[in-house]
Formats: sequence, C-alpha cells, structure tokens
Amino acid sequence: MVGFLLALPPMVVLFFLILLPAFEAVKFSLGLVPEDNVAYASGLNVIRSNGPTLEVFEKLFASPFFQQNVRLTFFVSIVSVLILLVVAYVLALYARFGKGRLPSIIRTLYLVPMFIPTIIASYALIVFFGDNGLLEALLSRFGVPYQTIIRQDWGIIMGQVWASIPFAVLMLSSGLDAISDDHIEAAKDCGASFATILWRILIPLNIVPALIVATFTFIGVFGSFTVPYMLGPTVPQMLGVSMQVNFTAFRQPQTAVAIAVFSFAVCAVAGYIYVVATTRQNRSQQ
Amino acid sequence: MNYTWFLHSKPLRNSLTLILVLGFGAFLLLPLLTLVLWAFADRWFYPALTPQEYSLKWWGWIVGRNEIVKAAYWSITTAPTVTLLSALICLPAAYAFSRYEFPLKRVFYVSLLAANAFPKLGLFIAIAAFFFGLGLVNTFWGVVLVQLINTLVLMTWIPAASFSAVPRELEEAARDAGASPLRVFFTVTLPIAMPGILVAGILTFLAAFDEAQGTLVVGTPNITTLPVLMYSLVNSYPEPVGAVFSILLATPSVILLILSRRILLSGYLAAGFKGG
Repeated sequence: MVGFLLALPPMVVLFFLILLPAFEAVKFSLGLVPEDNVAYASGLNVIRSNGPTLEVFEKLFASPFFQQNVRLTFFVSIVSVLILLVVAYVLALYARFGKGRLPSIIRTLYLVPMFIPTIIASYALIVFFGDNGLLEALLSRFGVPYQTIIRQDWGIIMGQVWASIPFAVLMLSSGLDAISDDHIEAAKDCGASFATILWRILIPLNIVPALIVATFTFIGVFGSFTVPYMLGPTVPQMLGVSMQVNFTAFRQPQTAVAIAVFSFAVCAVAGYIYVVATTRQNRSQQ
Repeated sequence: MNYTWFLHSKPLRNSLTLILVLGFGAFLLLPLLTLVLWAFADRWFYPALTPQEYSLKWWGWIVGRNEIVKAAYWSITTAPTVTLLSALICLPAAYAFSRYEFPLKRVFYVSLLAANAFPKLGLFIAIAAFFFGLGLVNTFWGVVLVQLINTLVLMTWIPAASFSAVPRELEEAARDAGASPLRVFFTVTLPIAMPGILVAGILTFLAAFDEAQGTLVVGTPNITTLPVLMYSLVNSYPEPVGAVFSILLATPSVILLILSRRILLSGYLAAGFKGG
C-alpha cells in the first residue's frame, strides 16, 4: 500500500494533464461547449449543440484543405517510418557486427542528433540543404544541378529521419545485443549466409524493438510541429502545423481541437496494432 | 547477370562501406558545421564554400537584445522549476517501483509513457484549450505544467533502474548494524543511486529547457522561452543571427549530455522500454 501511495503522484499529474484535457477535447469537438471557458465560447465558427453531434467533423472532413493536410501527414509519417527503419537497421547491424574503427565511430556518430534540439537541427538542415545552401554551392563546383527538397514534403521526411536516428538505433541495437553470439555462430556453422541469418534469426528475434521504433516514430511524426513548420511547404500543412494555426492565428479553437481528436484516433489505431502485435509475439514465444 | 559481384571483392566492399559511412557522417554533421560557419560569418555570398569575411559582431548584437534577455529569463526560471517539481513528484514513485509490490504496478509503470502515446501537438492543443478554462494559458505555471509532461517518464524510469541496482546486501548489513530504515536510505541507498538520479535530473532539465512546441502553444505571447524565440528569429533576421542563437541554445545540451553520456549509454533507455 505504501508503494501504491508513493507511485500515485505521477499518475495524478497524468490524469490532470493528459486524460482530462483529452476527454474535454473530445467533448468540445462533439459540439458540447462549456460556456464558462472563454476561449471556447469566444472562438470563431463554434458549433454548439445540447447533445453530441458529429457536425464539426463533417465540416472538417468536407474541407479540401483538411483532406490535403491529412494526405500529406499520412504520407510523411509512413515514409519517415519506413526510411528510418531501413537506415537505423543498417546502422545497428553495422555497429553490432562490424569490425575495426569505423563501427566504433558510427556508434558515437549516430548519437549526435540527440544533442541538438529539433528546432536547431531544422535550421541547420535549411542552411545546408536549402536554396543557395552549402550543398548547392558544393555541387555547383562540379556542375551538378541541384533542386532543394526544403519546403517540400521530402524536406519534412529528411528532418524527421535526421532527428529520430538516435532513438531508433539505440532501440534496435539493444535488441540486437540481446541476441546471443552462440545462436548466430551455430547458424554460421550450418553454412547459413548473412542474408539468411538476418532474415531468419535477427529480424524475427528483434521484432518487438522494431515495432516500438515504428509505432513511436509514427506517432511522433504524426503529431509533430517543429520539423514540418520549418522544413515543410506552406500549403498543404501537416496536421500539427494546421492545429497550431487554427488555434492561434485563425482563432478557431474548435477546429483545432477536432483535428487534435482526429490525430488521437489515428494514433490510437497505431498503438493498438503495436499492442496486438507484441502480445501475439509474446504468446508465440511461450 | 549478378549485380552483387562487387560484394565478393574485399577492397571494393571496404570502399563501398567507407563511402556509406562518410555519406552518413556528412548527412549528420555537415548541416551543423554550416551553422557554425554562419555564426562567425560577416559576409557569405553564394556560391562561396566558406564565408568571405568573418566577424563576431552578431554575437555582440544578440547578447544585448531586449527580447532575448526576456526569453533567457523565462528559460532559466521555468526549466529548473520543472526539474524540481518533477523530482518531487517522481522520485518517491521511482523508489516505489523499485522496492514495493502493489496493485496496478505494471499499469502505472507503463502508463508513464502516455505522453508519448499521444501525437504531441494534438495533446498540447487539448491542454491549451483545457488551460484556458483554468486561467493557466499565457502564465508561468501553465508553461511549467506543459513542460512537466515530457519529463515524468525520464524522472521515474531512470531513478527506478538505479534504485534497483543498489545491492540489497549493503542495505541489510546497515540494518543489522542497527541503522534505522530512514538512515539506511539516506546513507546507503541514495548515495549509490545518485548518479542515475543526477542523469535523470540533467535529462529532465534539458527536456524542459529545449521544449518548444508545448511552450509555444500554451505560453504565447507572454511566456516566450529561448527555443520558442527561435521560431520567429530564423524567419525575421539574417542567417548569422539564427546561427549564433542556435549555438548559444545548443551549448547547455551538448555540455550536459557529454557529461552524462557514459551513464546514458549503459542502456537505461532501452531497459525502461523492456520494463526495467
């Protein structure tokens, strides 16, 4: 009981700072407007109703801007996860199995983005990869034409991958480290090639860390603001940017909150897939 | 036709690896290097590869700016407050997770990740809307609370792991020698767990200090911290201003993270995800 009481304070904070606001957001997006909340009541285009209504969402889904934004957000989130998984897996494998000085350099190098706040990283990517940036200057020396991806969808993906590398490689590496050398040696003795070992042993045994990386990166990118704000196009916007603009500049808190609730729903599905996949994996191992 | 023939030649394979490693290093480091060059540039016109003239004038310019002094004030008041508050809330919980069995323990432990299970900006918008009703928007405490969210998991998981790493025999020996439980905690358990707690404190401080998104949504327009100021600085001033500001802002992170790197690498992060 002592333990329960000691562990309670962070739970209370989570309740008041996450669950309750999320619950209030769902209510607000369903047209239930608390009149004592000045920000809600004084917002523009507020839809009020006595019972729950889907009117806010119907209006939202009918907006072509929102549809474009959703498409961009899904595209960026999914492609970022896929590229990050491939890059991080290659790095983790190399750091685990490579021999010599290079792998040890990699083991330090991949941590660098952890030291740099995202907003600074985004700015650094702009001055290097952007229009008239250093990369373009370098390439022009060799007469190579250059078309920047900054301020485009691929610019956001690049920023997300850059910033997510440390977490992804750390997770995948810790999983790979847990796979014993005996296992791999045994397979080698039987004449298995590296591709077979990778496909039949390493990837299956390391599936849970990979799923953690995929889920957390997807959710992180889906709800991001800094990277798409700095590196993405002005139109369409990712949902994080769109929420912020609706909330502050457009003074449409209900629209912003409805987009937030939509993003909760999408990420809940991602979380659910992760939970189902990991429990199935745990069951099949028993 | 087999396209992988070159993989069977060792020199070719080695040089391919080297190219890939160099490419990766360039992708990570060259943008940062460009930023450092910009911070010391007076004039740097495209397509020169390095600045035409170097100077420190932007450093002097930036230090005296009124808005920056104000933002620095908010940054160095909010981040330590968040760290202390987070320690008060989470350290007892960390000890409980390490030493006691209680109902819902596993659920509590995992639910600390809740903040990461939500799309961040959606959560911040929901919080800002909720804070409006409580009069917390645009206030010091509103910003402290929104920054607190990201720190709970760090401040609980890492100290919990270091409490668990304290050898029980030492505590029992102290008890046998007649020390009270409180005395054992403060003279044996706490000192041994201290490095982990310090790392948690450093990471918590940095998480709060570098937090920009939630602070932007909840704190605008009055409580503008340094990272939030960066959003407007990079759009309204020439490159050296953003670059100098970036270096000033990144310096605390780099110093503190290098100091704590050894302990970080010992796998707290991954251990936490696996459930301690």
